[in-house]
Amino acid sequence: MYIKLPNGIIESLRRRLPIFNIATLIAFIFGLYYAILNSPPDYLQGDSMRIMYVHVPAAWLALSSYSFLALSCIAWFIFRNPIFNLFAKSIAPIGALFTLIALVTGSIWGKPTWGTWWAWDARLTSMLILFFLYAAYIMTWQTIVNKDLAAKISAALGIIGFINIPIIKFSVDWWNTLHQPATISKLSAPSIHISMLTPLMLMTFAYILFLVTVFLMRYKIETLDQKILRVSK
Amino acid sequence: MQFYNLISRDLKLAFYSNTNFLFAASFLILILILIPFVFGTNISEFSILFTGFIWISIALSILLTLDRVFTSDYEDGNLDTIILTQQPLELIVCCKFISHWIANCIPIIMVIPIAGLLFEVNMQDILNIIINVFAGSPGMVFIGAAISALTLGSKRADIYKTIIIIPLYIPFIIFGANQESGLVLLGLSLIAFIFSLFTSTYSLRLYAE
Repeated sequence: MYIKLPNGIIESLRRRLPIFNIATLIAFIFGLYYAILNSPPDYLQGDSMRIMYVHVPAAWLALSSYSFLALSCIAWFIFRNPIFNLFAKSIAPIGALFTLIALVTGSIWGKPTWGTWWAWDARLTSMLILFFLYAAYIMTWQTIVNKDLAAKISAALGIIGFINIPIIKFSVDWWNTLHQPATISKLSAPSIHISMLTPLMLMTFAYILFLVTVFLMRYKIETLDQKILRVSK
Repeated sequence: MQFYNLISRDLKLAFYSNTNFLFAASFLILILILIPFVFGTNISEFSILFTGFIWISIALSILLTLDRVFTSDYEDGNLDTIILTQQPLELIVCCKFISHWIANCIPIIMVIPIAGLLFEVNMQDILNIIINVFAGSPGMVFIGAAISALTLGSKRADIYKTIIIIPLYIPFIIFGANQESGLVLLGLSLIAFIFSLFTSTYSLRLYAE
């Protein structure tokens, strides 16, 4: 079974890569302008709260990239189409980068507000573990020389990690919790003021554009790699 | 009958190899010996550290002996022979799990009461720890074996395996360090059993091709 469709969409998007580059740049300029200059400081935390505009989108996208990775692994198992492997392989380093950004900015934010760089709290710990799940996935492609085998193994690993995330989340939550509960998960009435929500959403949009751009670039490289492999065989 | 043969073969190999049954038990004791050197000789605090160190040493000893589950058989070609016997792969994998658990975790469980005496842990706590280890360690062995089956083809895979396996051990360690969570550990072990069975058979099929 071979699906032609995603290939076509991705290819046509890839040809418009310069547009994505410019759009990302513009979105970041707007987002950062609103986040740093044109939004009120928090009455409790002052200006240190502006880290949120960098921290929260990164954390969201880190998690959703892993979901995308795992879903493409599952799709690979169902359809056996190599394109899904390329998706997963392209998104993994970006997700790892976002996890790292979330961890680092989180700990910079934690110093003025919580008083420590790092607390062994449920959400921090599970983000750290998420980073190692990404690392394991990326390392699979590097340590296993036979690329066909690496494709099969990494797909299995992505799914194992996906099953493991809720288990880790549950056990770590049970173990210790200190982090504030999610504020924007309830869609009806977000408990964040509109003047802070706007820059947050702008930054999230910029982050998504950045993710898509880098994803398309990496996808291009991976397809070229694949072609080289096919020729050298 | 085949089941019994496979298990007894693996146990014999474990017994006669240079990392035999004694390894796991002595490894635990050796890790525990380090505690007084690191934390001083204030005996009253040792009983808190004891549980944690038991779990850490179980995790490490499983990680160190993972080669014995599939890799050594894979390298000398015995794995091909075992697969060629036309037994269901699930059965083979189960045998490997059980024999590795017996060779690795039973010695640790037998040594825990003696090690507890060194640190003046009371009998009730030792009993709780033993129940927890009984419930939790099979799951850890299953996961380790599954991941080592998955990474059979990669050379120099030790560090890489560790990076995959340690995050998967975290739930076990968290509940294991708690005194009364034997049932949760048992549940985790059962979940781990199902998924490692699938993963191991999947990867054995990959290498049997």
